[in-house]
Amino acid sequence: MTTSRDPAAPYDIPAHASADDPRVTLEEQLGVFEPIPPYPPRTEREAEFYTLGEGEMFINMGPQHPSTHGVLRVVLKLNGEQVVDLDPVLGYLHRGVEKLCENADFHQAICYMDPLEYVSSLFCEWPAVMAFEKLLDVEVPRRAEYIRVLSTELNRIASHALFMGWMALDLGGLTPILYSFIERDEIVEMLAALTGQRMLFNYFRVGGVNGDLNHEFMSRLGAWMSRATDQIEASLTLLNENEIFVRRMRGLGVLDRETALRMAVSGPNIRASGIPFDLRRAHPYSVFPELEFDIPTRQEGDCLARYLLRMDEIKQSLRIIDQCLHEMPDGPVMAKVPRLLRARPGRAFAAVEGPRGVYGVHAISDGTDQPFRMRIHDPSFVNLQLVPLMMPGNLVADTMAIMASLDPIMGGIDK
Amino acid sequence: MDRAFRRRLELRFGDRLSGPIRQRHDETEIRIAPADLPEVMRTLHDDPAFRFEFLADLCGVDTGRVMQVAYHLWSDTTPDWLRVIADGLSRDEPRVPSVTFLWKGAEWMEREAYDMFGIVFEGNRDLRRIYMPPDYRSFPLRKDFFIADDAARSPGAGVRPMERTHVPANAVPGSAVRHSKVD
Repeated sequence: MTTSRDPAAPYDIPAHASADDPRVTLEEQLGVFEPIPPYPPRTEREAEFYTLGEGEMFINMGPQHPSTHGVLRVVLKLNGEQVVDLDPVLGYLHRGVEKLCENADFHQAICYMDPLEYVSSLFCEWPAVMAFEKLLDVEVPRRAEYIRVLSTELNRIASHALFMGWMALDLGGLTPILYSFIERDEIVEMLAALTGQRMLFNYFRVGGVNGDLNHEFMSRLGAWMSRATDQIEASLTLLNENEIFVRRMRGLGVLDRETALRMAVSGPNIRASGIPFDLRRAHPYSVFPELEFDIPTRQEGDCLARYLLRMDEIKQSLRIIDQCLHEMPDGPVMAKVPRLLRARPGRAFAAVEGPRGVYGVHAISDGTDQPFRMRIHDPSFVNLQLVPLMMPGNLVADTMAIMASLDPIMGGIDK
Repeated sequence: MDRAFRRRLELRFGDRLSGPIRQRHDETEIRIAPADLPEVMRTLHDDPAFRFEFLADLCGVDTGRVMQVAYHLWSDTTPDWLRVIADGLSRDEPRVPSVTFLWKGAEWMEREAYDMFGIVFEGNRDLRRIYMPPDYRSFPLRKDFFIADDAARSPGAGVRPMERTHVPANAVPGSAVRHSKVD
């Protein structure tokens, strides 16, 4: 796929505007995937990137590449097997959720949150309902808060378990994902018993949650909790004591403290670089001030640290779940909220700490029953910016390792 | 609500604020003119009394009358979120200084705001579209967006209610923007 282009040559920009156009031929559509864009560079960075040096070539990774965790296209600039630079191209999964929310009422807008991050859906619902509750001045019952913490921590474990499997799969190890799906499937079935859905739960409501804990959920959770610690430990030894895996990951894609702050990174990626920034402690919300848990941090900032940190977080999540079950108060799970929500004109921002970082929602209301503007902040979107920073100098095969260690989910990145 | 924080902000930025400081729940909101943004942000970031080191969010807002850019910042010196609003950008040609000199990670968020609102961030070295195709010509999250140019030729045009292809014929000029009480 080596191509070179005279930068001064004139461009023939087609008159049609979008790939939706039925007049666009298949060849033209395929042309979209050519690494070099058919128009003059628009920015300094683009001009710099799309200029080939001696012995360099472009190659596309994606948008259908399995290790891109969705549909991400990465244009790699290679010198032999070495990555010189790279340019992620987003938008293949863009659905315009922010615009859709402006045309939905407050209840309906929550439904759009789930598919953003399909492996940790509850973390997308939470900031949205929190922001709406602030706009409407709704007080959430304590039992509902505990149920929210309980269900999201389960979701965090499911997400981190899946991360472990994906990570190994991206490096070429097939076994761990089979083990990680044992945990994930059990948790997903559990949450299905609680919420009625396996993946897109749509469980949180403005003022509480959709339903109280039921017998099936509790019996599944009890049975799972009694063996979870041992089982997770067992599947972790698969990778933690694997010489090939550890040596492959150590010292790869190092992110230092200052860069992490400058890049506005959050979540496990920043904690693996030695910054103990966790919103559950840094900006306490819900009932987290009453719960005991540690914020694991690591100093190395490499891929191995990011992997091990997530595995430490699983253990802390188990602690939180245990406390929730013991301290769960009785009472209602929904506040008294009118059917038709009309918020006061104003703004609200709410954020929660998810398995990938800070999920935030900035909701603006103009006094009608629909959000006037709904801004969704997704941590994967910010974290993905680290890839062009970390990659130069590494080998092509390490692109997958570094990207997998950042744990991006394209559904959230592309919104 | 952190009252002491409000006083600190008033003392430090009193003459620069273009509106009253608003506080509600765990949020504090200040409004400044776009020209003051780099200096205010640098002070908030570097001053040991503020230390707003974490940029939680950056987003564009179209109120129907003006464009705004809202920044959400976190610091350990206050339990509040700080919302800084660069207010009063013209809807015809919105321009605002970039904050990538403090947070390089704001680069993509600014690209997104450019993509969705057409807000030009001066100093961002990679300001191109991020979600929409590079040959796309309009800005989808603007309040007067009617998908007039691109999707008008798509098979779904005129069928899906959201994809209205033009402003109704009897509409008063300028009324395409949804009337709002948002300021």
